[in-house]
Amino acid sequence: MTKKEKRERKKYLLISVISFAAFILIWECVTEIFGLIPPKKLPSPRTIVNVFLYKLSNTNPDGSVLTAHILTSLKESVLGFIIGVGLGVPLGICMAWFEKFDLFFKPLFDLIKPIPPVGWVPIMLMLFGLSIWSKVTVIAIASIVPAIINSYSGIKQMNPVHKWVAQTFGASDRQILFTVAIPTAGPMIFAGIEVALNASWVTLVAAELVAATQGLGYMIQTSRMVGRIDIVFMGVLVIGAFGALFTWLLGMLRRKLVKGGR
Amino acid sequence: MKFKLSGKSIQAVVLGTLGILSFFIIWQLTCIFTKFGTIFPTPPEVAAGMIRGFIEPIGSVTLLGHIGISLGRVLVGYTLSSVLGTLVGLLMGASRLGKAILYPIFNIIKPIPGIAWIPIAIMWLGIGNATIYFIIFVGGFSQMVMNVMSGASNVDQELVGVARVLGLKKNHVFLTIILPSCVPYIFTGLQVSLSTSWMAVLAAEMITATSGCGWLILAGMQSGIMLNNVLGMIAIGFIGLVLATLMRMLERRLCSWKERN
Repeated sequence: MTKKEKRERKKYLLISVISFAAFILIWECVTEIFGLIPPKKLPSPRTIVNVFLYKLSNTNPDGSVLTAHILTSLKESVLGFIIGVGLGVPLGICMAWFEKFDLFFKPLFDLIKPIPPVGWVPIMLMLFGLSIWSKVTVIAIASIVPAIINSYSGIKQMNPVHKWVAQTFGASDRQILFTVAIPTAGPMIFAGIEVALNASWVTLVAAELVAATQGLGYMIQTSRMVGRIDIVFMGVLVIGAFGALFTWLLGMLRRKLVKGGR
Repeated sequence: MKFKLSGKSIQAVVLGTLGILSFFIIWQLTCIFTKFGTIFPTPPEVAAGMIRGFIEPIGSVTLLGHIGISLGRVLVGYTLSSVLGTLVGLLMGASRLGKAILYPIFNIIKPIPGIAWIPIAIMWLGIGNATIYFIIFVGGFSQMVMNVMSGASNVDQELVGVARVLGLKKNHVFLTIILPSCVPYIFTGLQVSLSTSWMAVLAAEMITATSGCGWLILAGMQSGIMLNNVLGMIAIGFIGLVLATLMRMLERRLCSWKERN
């Protein structure tokens, strides 16, 4: 059985590799080799690799090399993410723990929550101009929402029996919060952080498309305006790669830090 | 006991109103005492503007018209992504071969935010509704696929085994066991992708449209009339909330046997 399973797995892995290779090959064929789709519409994989290498050391057509764009984007999204999560998690915990706080903030939060973060871009632009802070604040808004929601419901999920046991043994409210409630909410909070990171990357791209002077979103937008679809494609793939990298990093961190299931 | 409960609910209403009120008061005070107020409307001005927006057109149509246009665009893109996403998700979740073939390719597309496709879509389809439909489509598609796929691959294998032992054909197993047990996952996918679609239409309209809520937000900024910007945000937030609530009600109705979370 296990041997058969192993063989099966090998077979499917091989199919995956072949499928992927075929995909790239067909792409290369219809673009470069047979010219079925003009390069103005779809650049070939080879062109994309070439333009990636070219962009590493060349500032055309948008004024910065690729690494500078990446660094700007990373700086903005990580800063916004840290601010958002740093405010959101304690706020969510407070809302779940102190009833009056909850009653005060919940309706206001419910009012603001459904506005997509991108919608805040114009206001922040007005306040902060084209500096990175207009992007950082929008990203902070994007990541504060899932951070609050998840830490709130994580604390609310606590098993009342655990609370009673702690109370019976004379734990103070504060001790219950830090030793029972927050550890219980750990997995939920972490899931919220993952959602927040994802949201911050998506929002970053949107914000940079609308208003920026540097960054990956700005790079693809400018390249589109001058008709460089090869750079646009490369930029989109780089954005995707960083998104995947973030997901992977946080997944690893979660396995290390958070005990217990979701 | 009853008295105590109603006392609590009174407290809730009072505190909640206080929370929202203090937000508006801070907004009002900032407008009065800082130079923020020279460009930004106060809450009463927004309320007045909103009533006016329902009667007089902003740009080409009234506020309701913009909401309608955005909703129509979402409907097209969302339907496309839901149908195609469900099909691809089922294919990858229920068939190992399908997954082996499609998953590596899907994995390239999955981490790319739908919004990042905007420049590509403009170069392919030009500026117009087709581009917006496409953006909404890609925004929802991968989430739909992921949810349906995890539904189809998390089917109770014992049920499948029993059905096979009792002589059910493979396509029957698919129709009577795999598909029904996917329904809650399909609904989760539909919910998530609806809110993504609503965000995508906003971003797409901000960049390529001349009508719709997203256009209102951006045009408000470009023409210096921040009132339109705020109106657009309120409209987007409100409709997003209504859509999410409707979806949850529908789910409760249709998947009553298995409520997730």
